[in-house]
Amino acid sequence: MLKKSPWVVHYDASSCNGCDIEVLACLMPTFDVERLGIINVGNPKHADIFLVTGSVNEANKEIIQNIYNQMPDPKVVVAVGVCACTGGIFAECYNVSGGVDKILPVDVYVPGCAARPEAIIEGVAKGMGILEEKRKKLRNMTKGLEELTITQAEISDAAEILYVQHLAFQSEAEIYNDFSLSPLRQTMDEIKEDFNNRTFFKAVMNYTIVGIARSRMEGDICHIGRLAVNPVYQNLGIGKKLLQAVENHFDTAESFQVYTSHQSKRNIYLFEHQGYTWFKKERVSERRERIHFEKKHIKD
Amino acid sequence: MLRILFVVLYVIIAPLLGGLMAGIDRKITARLQGRVGPSIFQAFYDVLKLFEKETMVVRRSQNFYIVFSLILVIFTTGLFAWGANILLVIFALTLSSIFFVLGGFKASSPYSFIGSQRELIQIASYEPAVLLSAIGMYMVAHSFNIMTIFTCDKPLYIPLAGIVLAYLFILPIKLRKSPFDLSTSHHAHQELVKGITTEFSGKALAMIEITHWYETTIALGIVFLFFSSNILIGLLAAAAAYFLMIIIDNSFARVKWQKAFASSWLIALIFGVGNIILLSFLAN
Repeated sequence: MLKKSPWVVHYDASSCNGCDIEVLACLMPTFDVERLGIINVGNPKHADIFLVTGSVNEANKEIIQNIYNQMPDPKVVVAVGVCACTGGIFAECYNVSGGVDKILPVDVYVPGCAARPEAIIEGVAKGMGILEEKRKKLRNMTKGLEELTITQAEISDAAEILYVQHLAFQSEAEIYNDFSLSPLRQTMDEIKEDFNNRTFFKAVMNYTIVGIARSRMEGDICHIGRLAVNPVYQNLGIGKKLLQAVENHFDTAESFQVYTSHQSKRNIYLFEHQGYTWFKKERVSERRERIHFEKKHIKD
Repeated sequence: MLRILFVVLYVIIAPLLGGLMAGIDRKITARLQGRVGPSIFQAFYDVLKLFEKETMVVRRSQNFYIVFSLILVIFTTGLFAWGANILLVIFALTLSSIFFVLGGFKASSPYSFIGSQRELIQIASYEPAVLLSAIGMYMVAHSFNIMTIFTCDKPLYIPLAGIVLAYLFILPIKLRKSPFDLSTSHHAHQELVKGITTEFSGKALAMIEITHWYETTIALGIVFLFFSSNILIGLLAAAAAYFLMIIIDNSFARVKWQKAFASSWLIALIFGVGNIILLSFLAN
């Protein structure tokens, strides 16, 4: 059904506005893309196809990424016009990073200056086919998690990590009715600072970070913290895989330690099933008790 | 037994009819604008697609309210088909809308927040005319029971002409049509992004859409009741009312909430209450 109702959100990066006007011309009676079910929505959360016109510059980098991150899967990026494809005549400017593919995975390139409405419609039509493929992939992925990769995160992932962290710890905050939890309050600068003394891990699916964990070595003990999975991807075993990845990474550690709060049953269940046992309980606030878990590292 | 079967059938057919009407609406709107427009089944394609999308949330509990809103609107449709008390139908429908508003508030983005507040104002705007409809029907048919109103052999629209007018005036609010599509709009790019539905995606948005189909059939069902002394005329009147709404949608710009509120109360007061006062004089 994705093929029959692609909703489009368009963003004008630093273009001369020519391509942007041609995008809007597609909606007019002459071309009338609504007959294909295409709707121009102003909300990335409702969109399937992301049309970007113009080249990416230092100022709109984060905005483009933000719009992309807010779109629900499956989604497709269409670069409209030569500036969006490669940077065009602006490619060498001091403030221009280049085409959209410098920061996002672009699925369809529509060249032209300005791209003609016919070309844009064809690009979107190509995008519809890719959308359908992606949906199939996504379905397989949630079944078997084939394409989940867990790697060390870099400082450039900080924004996405913070996003997942805020989303995932919301449910924790709701359990204890305590929205002052430090993971919820953390800012971008603080998380960047954490990169200095901690190792961050990310679980990536379809170019999106879905799970995070961080760890710190103190002597022989590896402290694992802020294990979080995006609520949409929970119950798929991503948390377990993240935990295992961290343990494998620090194979010199004597033991692993992790903590959670007393009513977070799912976390406690996860840790207990991964061979952790609790050794300390402390009260952190009126409603919340923190339980520390430990697992001795058995080396072969 | 036959009645239960009818209710079940009605609850299944109502959203299909609502979706088809939404498709016809888009087709007619496109024709009015000199475009070809999408297939008349487009609304179904959209909803089926939304079920295939990822459901993103700001707070996980926001979708809980949407599920409740859908359940309540199905319950309302069932009551309507059963021919239960019309007041109960109206209150259950309002409760469904309130759950929708709560979902919008829970999502807590500035856009959905203002959208939810506007939705509350819209509910407050249409409620008087809807309640006056029920009262008017009671005065003519001597019962709040939909079954009795339906089987009443007097044509309701003649003594209740003023109330029909007041009801038609607030109908665009319930159908989310211009000039009263303040909280969220069928059309792109309003000042609140997508208003109350901004933070909903995937299955939740699909459920909101289905809830809206049910609401459309209930809102037009009440139009049908006004004309139900002859079933054919009733159906034609409901279709004509819907067509009128499409025309109005295409010919008016959105108004501010103050105007929406004031005008719908004023019309309800003058034509609705006036009609009822006139009826009570005539009855004596």
